[in-house]
Amino acid sequence: MFPIVAHEELAPKVHRMSVKAPIVAEKSKPGQFVILIVDEKGERVPFTISGWDASKGTVDFVYIEVGKTTCRLGSLKPGDQLAHFVGPLGKPAEIDHYGHVLAVASGYGASAILPVLKALKEKENRITTILQAPDRERAFGCAELEEVSDRLVLAIGTPGEDMTVSATRLLRKLLANHPQNPIHRVIVMGSLCLMRVISEMTRPYAIKTMVHLTPLMVDGTGMCGACRLSVKGNNRFACVHGPEFDGHEVDGWDVLMARRCTYADESVLQQSFQCRGCSQW
Amino acid sequence: MNLNRVEMPKQEPEDRRRNFDEVATGYTYEMAMEEASRCIQCKKRNCQQGCPVNIDIPDFIKHLQDGNIEAASRVLKAKTSLPGICGRVCPQELQCENSCTLNKKGAPVAIGRLERFIADWERSQGAVSTPEIAPSTGKCVAVVGTGPSGLTVASDLAIRGHQVTMFEALHVAGGVLMYGIPEFRLPKEIVQREVQYVASLGVDIQLDTVIGINYSLDELLNTKYHAVYLATGAGLPQFLRVPGENLNMVYSANEFLTRTNLMKAYLYPEYATPVKMGKKVAVIGGGNVAMDSARCAVRLGAQEVYVVYRRTRQEMPARLEEVENAEEEGIHFHFLCNPTGFISDGRNNVSAMELIRMKLGEPDASGRRRPVPIEGSEYTMDVDTVIVSLGTSPNPLISSTTPDLETSRWGTVVTDERGKTSKARVWAGGDIVSGGATVISAMGEGRRAASAMHEFLSQ
Ligand SMILES: Cc1cc2nc3c(=O)[nH]c(=O)nc-3n(C[C@H](O)[C@H](O)[C@H](O)COP(=O)(O)OP(=O)(O)OC[C@H]3O[C@@H](n4cnc5c(N)ncnc54)[C@H](O)[C@@H]3O)c2cc1C
Ligand SMILES: Cc1cc2nc3c(=O)[nH]c(=O)nc-3n(C[C@H](O)[C@H](O)[C@H](O)COP(=O)(O)OP(=O)(O)OC[C@H]3O[C@@H](n4cnc5c(N)ncnc54)[C@H](O)[C@@H]3O)c2cc1C
Ligand code: SF4
Ligand code: SF4
Ligand code: FES
Repeated sequence: MFPIVAHEELAPKVHRMSVKAPIVAEKSKPGQFVILIVDEKGERVPFTISGWDASKGTVDFVYIEVGKTTCRLGSLKPGDQLAHFVGPLGKPAEIDHYGHVLAVASGYGASAILPVLKALKEKENRITTILQAPDRERAFGCAELEEVSDRLVLAIGTPGEDMTVSATRLLRKLLANHPQNPIHRVIVMGSLCLMRVISEMTRPYAIKTMVHLTPLMVDGTGMCGACRLSVKGNNRFACVHGPEFDGHEVDGWDVLMARRCTYADESVLQQSFQCRGCSQW
Repeated sequence: MNLNRVEMPKQEPEDRRRNFDEVATGYTYEMAMEEASRCIQCKKRNCQQGCPVNIDIPDFIKHLQDGNIEAASRVLKAKTSLPGICGRVCPQELQCENSCTLNKKGAPVAIGRLERFIADWERSQGAVSTPEIAPSTGKCVAVVGTGPSGLTVASDLAIRGHQVTMFEALHVAGGVLMYGIPEFRLPKEIVQREVQYVASLGVDIQLDTVIGINYSLDELLNTKYHAVYLATGAGLPQFLRVPGENLNMVYSANEFLTRTNLMKAYLYPEYATPVKMGKKVAVIGGGNVAMDSARCAVRLGAQEVYVVYRRTRQEMPARLEEVENAEEEGIHFHFLCNPTGFISDGRNNVSAMELIRMKLGEPDASGRRRPVPIEGSEYTMDVDTVIVSLGTSPNPLISSTTPDLETSRWGTVVTDERGKTSKARVWAGGDIVSGGATVISAMGEGRRAASAMHEFLSQ
């Protein structure tokens, strides 16, 4: 069993949970994830590691209440136990000195991206971060993002008819400035929609754009193939070959998004997940 | 001589199509005694030679004939720690029963059913006897993977006095016995009993621990462990590599069976994991995995289930008994055809499958006639769910983090005949070596490796 050592609300329906799992904390790297099961009848559900402390043996993640498991998590208190907790899964994010890195985060990405940005900062990158949120109330994690970014820009608002959001409008401006103020790398952690739109925007500029993909997963170790997607015409498993991929190499975004919503129905609490671009609605 | 075997009672097809309860309900005491009495106690012991772990079959049947089930059980336990499982899922028709003397004249003795009866009888008696454990040797062994091969090595070495720790990536021990083979063929309670038995020998089982991630193989060898046994199976699913294979509702058999069996999606919403099932289901492949997938699909409410196989019935690797069960449950077989693509309904869900007819050509390396496509024979078939069950290969997690472990072109780990790998102090067996075989061969390889490891540890 894996005891919960801390649990706090960051914004409405957004929580950070800290779990005691020494062998996970020991090996965690930026961009990796865990899979947990709440109780013996629970589902295996993946979450990105938002922080860890190897000396205390704790692992943190931030989650949004969207359905059965995440709502269940919301009702747990420090001292309660999770039945299972396995990780760190997936490949760590690529970290190097690139120069100027533009990070875009939305949803839980605002926290999940922190370890990646910290590591990039240690490699002496200049980091500009755009935080996309539907409204101010749900723009959480600003202080921590500010700490690891050279500049933090808030992009507030819900997607328009053309799927553009504040973040993409901001990005357009930055890209227009690209020759004078070059962006060497983009990294996006947010909804599949946002990651897709941004990949398309940076493609003409040939700026390497890393996305953190979240297809449905079951085992998370390369055994079930649920998380497969097409990358440059090859089948890749997000849980072992990812979750970080080069957004320009991902093909079949439509299929990826449709598969993400295989089990989505009207019961989904977070209406914003019913993205317009997706065929499942 | 009685040439007809005692039939085992089964649930009627109409009933069992609607539940996940065990299909074959097992012999009663009287049935077992009658079947055992058919054995003529041959001097030559043909049957025993047909068993990959060399069970003293005539001896256990003799004890049954004498009404001494406990003694029969001891004979079994001397060679197999998993009789309740082997008795259910062994391909007996190719092994022990195929070699039975009676097979030449009539039906062979139902060795598997008797084995199952003994194991179930012992289980119903409550306390399962544990063997005597040798005094501690002070040596530590790590066993990676808790499928039948790992369980066998763990129990063999624990009994010989070694301290064994098992590591399992999933949240439950048992390997394919838990995540692959369905409840209606192998009740999970039986598997868990066997796991508990192994634990009762003093074996420490660490779940949720992935070797290659939480500890590398070298870390195991450099810290506490004097020797390691790798039994991580062949869990990497293969795909057809045809257009449309990633559409929604195209499952790998591993995903479909894992959701259904390990996560108990058939009990959704009591269990939280769902599995979506359409009305017209195509299962691609002809092995046990394909049969299990098709039969699960029926039970999850599919209206029509087709098994699509590129060769003919004769070449199907699935057990005959399971093919017959599938047919009784209303599953249709389409032979000599192969999918060439999947078509979307316009919303990225699969709605049809393109196929090409095949004919059998020259025999290939495996001796089976190679299927070749018949040009111009393309056709389509409407389906709303596809389960791809083409077989699996070993997961590269460990080999990719252990450069000095020799692997074959197919990703299997290379060993000598006693399971020794190219790496010092590391043995391997089961599907990771053979690449998708049987429970009993995984066990047999474990048994051989355990004795080699014991020799090494005793030096
Ligand atoms: C590698 C990986 C990392 C992840 N990291 C995080 C994380 O750090 N924090 C976090 O909150 N979530 C994360 N997720 C998503 C998370 O796993 C889901 O939110 C979770 O499975 C929902 O489970 P549930 O039982 O609460 O809801 P369900 O009942 O399973 O969800 C209902 C439906 O909502 C839809 N849905 C749920 N979440 C999303 C989403 N994020 N995007 C689009 N649709 C969605 C799905 O269609 C789902 O079927 C990650 C997913 C992956 C694959
Ligand atoms: C659906 C299906 C039906 C079958 N039907 C039959 C049948 O009727 N009769 C028969 O004889 N055989 C059958 N088989 C084959 C049989 O189940 C296998 O040959 C046998 O289980 C192999 O045993 P194993 O111990 O080598 O590996 P497995 O049973 O595959 O166990 C391997 C274990 O290792 C774990 N693991 C993997 N990687 C790691 C890692 N890095 N770290 C920690 N743990 C890890 C896995 O999670 C798994 O639990 C069937 C197989 C399937 C899939
Ligand atoms: S273990 Fe399998 S092959 Fe051996 S006797 Fe039992 S059923 Fe037959
Ligand atoms: S070969 Fe058949 S009849 Fe002969 S001893 Fe074995 S089981 Fe009995
Ligand atoms: S989640 Fe099963 S293969 Fe990735």
